Amino acid sequence: MIRIDAARCTGCRRCEVACAFARSGRVGRGLARIKVVQIYETGIDGPVLCLQCRERSCLRCPDDAISIGALGQVVVSPTACSLCGACEKNCPVGAVEIHRGIVYVCDLCGGRPACVAACTEGAIVFEPETSEVVSLEAHKKESRGLSPAEKRLRFVEGEGRAVRREWERSRV
Amino acid sequence: MSDTARRSGRLLRIDLTNRSFRIEPIEPGWLRPVIGGRAANTRRLEEELDPGCDPLGPANPLIFGVGPLTGSLLPASAYFILTAKSPMTGILGDSAAGGQFAAEMRATGFDQIVIAGAADSLCCLVVTEDGIRFVDCPELAGKTVLETTSAVRRALRDPAVEVAAIGPAGENKVLYAAVVSSGNRVNGRTGMGAVMGSKNLKAVAVRGSIPVDVEDPPAFLAESRKIEAAILSHREYEKRRRLGTTMLMTDLNGIGILPTRHFQEGVCRYVDRISGQALAERFKVKNKACFNCNVHCSRYYVAGGREAEGPEFETLCGFTSRLGSDDLAFALEMNERLNQLGMDSLSVSEVLGWIMECQEKGLVRPADLDGLSLAWGDAEGIRRAVDLIAHRRGVGDALADGATRLSRRFGPEAQKLVMQVKGLDLICGDPRGIKAYGLTYAVASRGADHLRAEPYFELTDRRDEALRRFGTEKAALRLEEEGKAALVTWSEKIALLTDSLTMCKNIGLCMDVLQFENAAALLRAGTGVDYSPAYLEKILGEAVNRDRRLNARFGVKKADDTLPARFLEEPLAEGPSRGSVVDLERMVGEYYKLHGWGD
Repeated sequence: MIRIDAARCTGCRRCEVACAFARSGRVGRGLARIKVVQIYETGIDGPVLCLQCRERSCLRCPDDAISIGALGQVVVSPTACSLCGACEKNCPVGAVEIHRGIVYVCDLCGGRPACVAACTEGAIVFEPETSEVVSLEAHKKESRGLSPAEKRLRFVEGEGRAVRREWERSRV
Repeated sequence: MSDTARRSGRLLRIDLTNRSFRIEPIEPGWLRPVIGGRAANTRRLEEELDPGCDPLGPANPLIFGVGPLTGSLLPASAYFILTAKSPMTGILGDSAAGGQFAAEMRATGFDQIVIAGAADSLCCLVVTEDGIRFVDCPELAGKTVLETTSAVRRALRDPAVEVAAIGPAGENKVLYAAVVSSGNRVNGRTGMGAVMGSKNLKAVAVRGSIPVDVEDPPAFLAESRKIEAAILSHREYEKRRRLGTTMLMTDLNGIGILPTRHFQEGVCRYVDRISGQALAERFKVKNKACFNCNVHCSRYYVAGGREAEGPEFETLCGFTSRLGSDDLAFALEMNERLNQLGMDSLSVSEVLGWIMECQEKGLVRPADLDGLSLAWGDAEGIRRAVDLIAHRRGVGDALADGATRLSRRFGPEAQKLVMQVKGLDLICGDPRGIKAYGLTYAVASRGADHLRAEPYFELTDRRDEALRRFGTEKAALRLEEEGKAALVTWSEKIALLTDSLTMCKNIGLCMDVLQFENAAALLRAGTGVDYSPAYLEKILGEAVNRDRRLNARFGVKKADDTLPARFLEEPLAEGPSRGSVVDLERMVGEYYKLHGWGD
């Protein structure tokens, strides 16, 4: 999995840029499988991507188009997928998103994630041996009915609370 | 790949008076010789502006511009430029900002947004690739930039919308009001916020999903990687990453040019209490970055009950040594306050510093200013004055017109003490110890400003390089006048190149990362248009001439290419720049000669 450390994220979005470019030769948020949320009111920034969660809510796919690969990554079969949107809807943190007829979710770039290589800050770290250690159960209820972008915001707000507690402790 | 100009652009024309819009193509032949960003905006202004118009009237177009590589893989290249006739100076006005707005504007597919007319009541503009919406927002009157940004994002139910907004200062048409995006990213200079306010335009929101395409992705990747490597291996990388521009507090103090007590001194004894290092140790909590930058030079701080992104050097110096204050926490409070009210920190600092000096010298009495009395470092007085200015209350109404206009109520001695050129207030760097900067302030086409050329080269002690590039080793020596005209005529083209690629000047120019050669390669790979280094140099020279032509239409003359008398006549009294004044006439003469300009 790729682990996130929101305390180190500067909001530069180099991960997003590298992700989109590595796969499409173009740059744009919609083409990225990792997306950065910036909360200007509190100074918190954080990338959101598939955390290979224990619950694997995305697997509840009516078309059976989603499977888990050797690295724990989500694999979407483009032929089986009918773009029904269930995976997008079920992911509690907005890490799965459909854009112009394609399901975008992190697949670890086959084991050499472009985003991790682009991050100079250590805000995203690749742990190839780790998978299904993070639980997103707590995010399920509150994320119902939200758009992927809104779900990402809620998730990063949550991550940011711990970061801000640390700031307040160190900057009294 | 084509060898002719063929990248076209898209222009969005907004008429706020009729609440209508039109989308037009920008012809490849129009775009090629101006690239994008600042040079393209200036061309648009020259073609469409009635030079005699009231800068705060509906006829003054406010132009938002990005470039062909904005928001692309190229690092540190997502600035956007605002251009209009400046209400502050009455001449060419423009101002750039980093952050996230530019990349999102690019994703809407528009290279330029030209906003003309004026709305009859406060409104926001929502720009997406699918269309444009005018949204009335009477409830946002008087709101800060962040309050406005949050409200727009909430109303659109989209936390990824980027917003460029004005605060109360812009609504009240403070002549040096700023436009602020990404919460704390400021288009500060020349009063673009006042132009927005005059149009009753509280905010421009952008949200797009058009990907940034490049003509030749592998070549573009290779060129971008070279730039990244040059940044990462730069000798100043770690320092810039830790301190950002606040590193200049001790750097400039070390050479005796840190503006102190309104440029009366160039050495600040308490610099260690107000330095970037002190800020990093006491209040910084994290690094922040503009879109796709690998330097991350911006910072977020928490200081008591106040927190914000920044400050940049100009604000930090402007609210510490320049106003005779050693209170770092107070400067941080002011950074947050000015950003949220939406005002240019330099112009605020100048009007306050000018009053402080004039009151100290007995040239301006408190009674002349409705009882306003300001002493060096007077935090409470500064707080009060800032609030009066932003709301144009009481004496704040006069201060909101800026130091130059305010000084006209007083005698020539007081007028002489305004640190301005062409009506724009000086940045924080005493030109007596950095001569190429002195020349730059004098000739810059938007008034006293370093960014038109940013001749940082003269601070880098590269004598061999100076000889090779500018014909004399002295171009690398900050106290010398020789070779500085050559340095400035070169670096003003690179500055315009970075502004037209919408790259960060700290990186493109100060870190010496951008040259005609790699810029041409990037543009070729990025756009498919045949740019060569020689062609770039030629068109950038023409663009510098365009600035000059435009300002001539506003009545600017050679005599306006000058500096405040202090820098020409009063030597600095102590420190490593002691005894130095600017021999400006000589440099300006050489500069005109190199340009082939008459008087």
